[in-house]
Amino acid sequence: MNKFQEIALKEMFSPNARETEISSQPAIPRRINLHQIPWIRPLLQSHWPQFLIRSLTLAGFAFTIFAGLFGSRVGSHNFAIIFVWIAWWTALKLAFIPLGGRSWCSVCPIPLPGEWLQQGGILEKSRRRFGLNLRWPKRLRGSWLQSGGFLVIGLFSAVTLTDARLTAWVLMALFGLAIILSLVFERRAFCSYVCPIGGFTGIYAKTAPVEVRVIDTAICAAHSEKTCYHNCPWGLYPVALRDSAQCGLCMECLRSCPSDNIAVNLRPFGTDLAAGNKGMRQSSRLDETFLALVMLGSALAFAAVLTGPWGSLKSAAFAIGSPAWLLYGFGLLVLNLVILPGAFALAVWSGQRWSGGKVQLRRAIANQAQILLPLGLFAWIAFTVSFAFPKMNYVFSVIFDPLGWGWNLFGTANSTWSPDVSAFSPGLQVALLLVGLFWSVSVAQRLALTNTGRTLRQILPLLAFCLAFSLAMLWLLVG
Amino acid sequence: MSELLKSLSPVWRWGIIALSTLLILFLPIPGNAAEPVERSFQIEASQFAYSPAILSVNPGDRVTIELLATDVVHGLSIDGYDLETTSDPGQTAHLTFVADHQGSFRFRCTVTCGNLHPFMIGKLQVGQNELLWRGALLAGLALFAAIWGARK
Amino acid sequence: MRKEWIARSVILVFVAAAITISMVAWQARSRGVVIHARMAETGGWNPESLTVEVGRPLHLRLTSDDVMHSFAIGKSDEPPVDVIPGEITEVTLTFDEPGKYTFYCTRWCSVNHWRMRGTVEVTGPEAAAEAVEPPLYVTLGLDIDAEHHADVIPERRPSASLGAQLGAEIPTDYQSREYYRSHSPADLWQALRDEASLSSLTNQDLWDLVALTWQSNTTPQDLSAGQQLYTNNCAACHGETGAGDGVFSDDLKQPKTGEHAEMQAGEMTARPTDFTDAEHMLAASPARLQGKVLRGGMGTGMPYWGPIFTKEQTWALIAYIWTFQFKLEDAP
Repeated sequence: MNKFQEIALKEMFSPNARETEISSQPAIPRRINLHQIPWIRPLLQSHWPQFLIRSLTLAGFAFTIFAGLFGSRVGSHNFAIIFVWIAWWTALKLAFIPLGGRSWCSVCPIPLPGEWLQQGGILEKSRRRFGLNLRWPKRLRGSWLQSGGFLVIGLFSAVTLTDARLTAWVLMALFGLAIILSLVFERRAFCSYVCPIGGFTGIYAKTAPVEVRVIDTAICAAHSEKTCYHNCPWGLYPVALRDSAQCGLCMECLRSCPSDNIAVNLRPFGTDLAAGNKGMRQSSRLDETFLALVMLGSALAFAAVLTGPWGSLKSAAFAIGSPAWLLYGFGLLVLNLVILPGAFALAVWSGQRWSGGKVQLRRAIANQAQILLPLGLFAWIAFTVSFAFPKMNYVFSVIFDPLGWGWNLFGTANSTWSPDVSAFSPGLQVALLLVGLFWSVSVAQRLALTNTGRTLRQILPLLAFCLAFSLAMLWLLVG
Repeated sequence: MSELLKSLSPVWRWGIIALSTLLILFLPIPGNAAEPVERSFQIEASQFAYSPAILSVNPGDRVTIELLATDVVHGLSIDGYDLETTSDPGQTAHLTFVADHQGSFRFRCTVTCGNLHPFMIGKLQVGQNELLWRGALLAGLALFAAIWGARK
Repeated sequence: MRKEWIARSVILVFVAAAITISMVAWQARSRGVVIHARMAETGGWNPESLTVEVGRPLHLRLTSDDVMHSFAIGKSDEPPVDVIPGEITEVTLTFDEPGKYTFYCTRWCSVNHWRMRGTVEVTGPEAAAEAVEPPLYVTLGLDIDAEHHADVIPERRPSASLGAQLGAEIPTDYQSREYYRSHSPADLWQALRDEASLSSLTNQDLWDLVALTWQSNTTPQDLSAGQQLYTNNCAACHGETGAGDGVFSDDLKQPKTGEHAEMQAGEMTARPTDFTDAEHMLAASPARLQGKVLRGGMGTGMPYWGPIFTKEQTWALIAYIWTFQFKLEDAP
């Protein structure tokens, strides 16, 4: 525990610290270093466990593409549709992200060929490497492309989610793009800056209870080689990691540190958010704000289109190229590019004005985006419950007949059992939205506390924004 | 008042919040004491919508749904009610039941009718949507609790 | 280096396994005849012509690529088999006689559902050429497309039971099946009107007698069978109440344009006939109706049911259609 306090002290007075609100210092939250637990350590140290999982996901990915291209056109009986948009999506939203942050990125098969080409080998690097290793252009850094990518998904969601062929083509396009980008740019450029999934996985990772952090910065200061940095496929410098948004939990730094100075910590939820790490520099940027807002807007849009009773809206979303679809697209973009960002900016601005604070609007907007993260995370979890739970029976039937060709692998393909989730699903969705709202408001409260002045006035408009969003999601999902 | 609120210790605060939660969850919401009547709805089902898609009835009403498919074979099943029916174009199907569960229930298509079949959804509103009201009140309480509960 | 080669092999094995399973499955599925059903607008049955030897079982595996369909053989007692999207249904058929059989979809899947037909060519020693009896309208030389309307129509729907209560003597000539099939209700009414023994009866009474005669030429079983046929095959266009206002009637009111125009090239579809229109229906004989049903509408969008319905089925259906004009239930 002494070391943590030392780090905190160092950071407070180091020249790298930007504006940080330094008032009261709560206790440093507990961390449990998984790397030191005897039965976990070998699993993390060895390349094999993670490699085997990735081989499986790669094989599954290949099979998914095959199923999408050649399997039954009927979505509910095609492995590609069910496993991508129901099974994997549910696992992502309900387990990978809330519990593991960017954990999916550590087993994702899409960047694999690119990584192998860049390294010149699968597990062992060789001299024969491929790729130009250019730096990612400065202008395209951040999550702007990822926000845009997610909006594009939203525009075509009605068709992509229901057409197995298109799903396969989208997967192949992402795969191909990742390979090409790996041959041009350094590291996991695709994952960091382009992958739409990576975008929101990253920002929500700030709320998750897992992190990779350096233990003792003094040791790092004395280590000139910085093997961790050279081995990191994400191009991160572990000592400088302030939040978990960019770290893909690949554990390469862990394995390559000669002093065993890097930890995989279990931590309380939301410690990257607002004053969780008192004294540590918070990294919150405008692009992350925008992505957080896009995620909120998309949650509303997807809930309305996919789980609502408005058939004309669904038909409009489905009829790509028609005037109705253009109207739908326009509405989607206005919601995500104008209404939500505008309302949020207004809430921040009026809060600042009202409380007499002297913070710049731009910086305040970027900083207070953290409030939106628990809200969005739980809105998406609730939406996923509403959307995917009634269709879970398809997951089982598609395992036994993945291509819709009449297989009956274990004799149960045609069981028509479907779970009646209606007894608990709506209540569960409400509970999830309430947790998200409560958590967001807590973050807002903590963030405001670090400012001197009238905290309630500063965040009241923001609270109204959060409440309005929650009520809207509530009405869409269970109204 | 705000002085009083600020002076309460965390135990008291959370106690009050817990009590309010229970109140919101279990306080009966005044519903309209309307007499149950017989209601009949003609729903046209097409790819991929029901028309009308939102039905409102009072608790206890005896509801008859006449489902008429207009382009392909469609079905209808109501979440929370163990009911299902199928209609071929030109063959109206009838479903009669007593709306004894209160709340908002989605009804869905049960015969694969094309790409957007999983999203062919309508809504049956029986009486007050208690879940929505209580959820909204709890949202307000959550907001209040997060601010007040954490204050020193 | 060993580690690297092991890693490469693992990847190869896993991915190869995934692909091999897929390839094997691909090969396996080609065995046996799999028929894919799609809405007529996007292809219909695929394949749509099959061949089998007489007496040999034909195993079919049916699946739908879009919506619910159903499979049946025309003029056969085999019950229809649902063809379900994404699932495979199996059916085995054996044909006793060589010839050309039509298979068709029996659950409405679009306005062009009736065009979803295919053929099974059953080869074998040529059976003795049966004299094919032409349909009645051909024998009668009836122009089934000609305009027809009744001069006199009843004030209310004629009732067979009321006609029975009149206790009148209808000349036996007019009660025969041949007469029924080849004459319209208006013809019979006029004949009865000209009959001296019935001159005391009112016009309406005579219509009730016509209804009675019509009832005597069918049975409750036929009416029930006809109703089932009507519900499954006709109601979608002609309406459940026979008023020509079925769910597809709007689509048929004007010619189709757009991407499916080729399907209706040269056609002008028309609103389905209103069976409740007395002026029109009472001047049609059962033979005319049979002609329309068997031959179809020559471009109006009315399907031709010749290869599908047996003779008995056709007459039963026609008997049922008259219930839109007459009350044909038994007297209490």
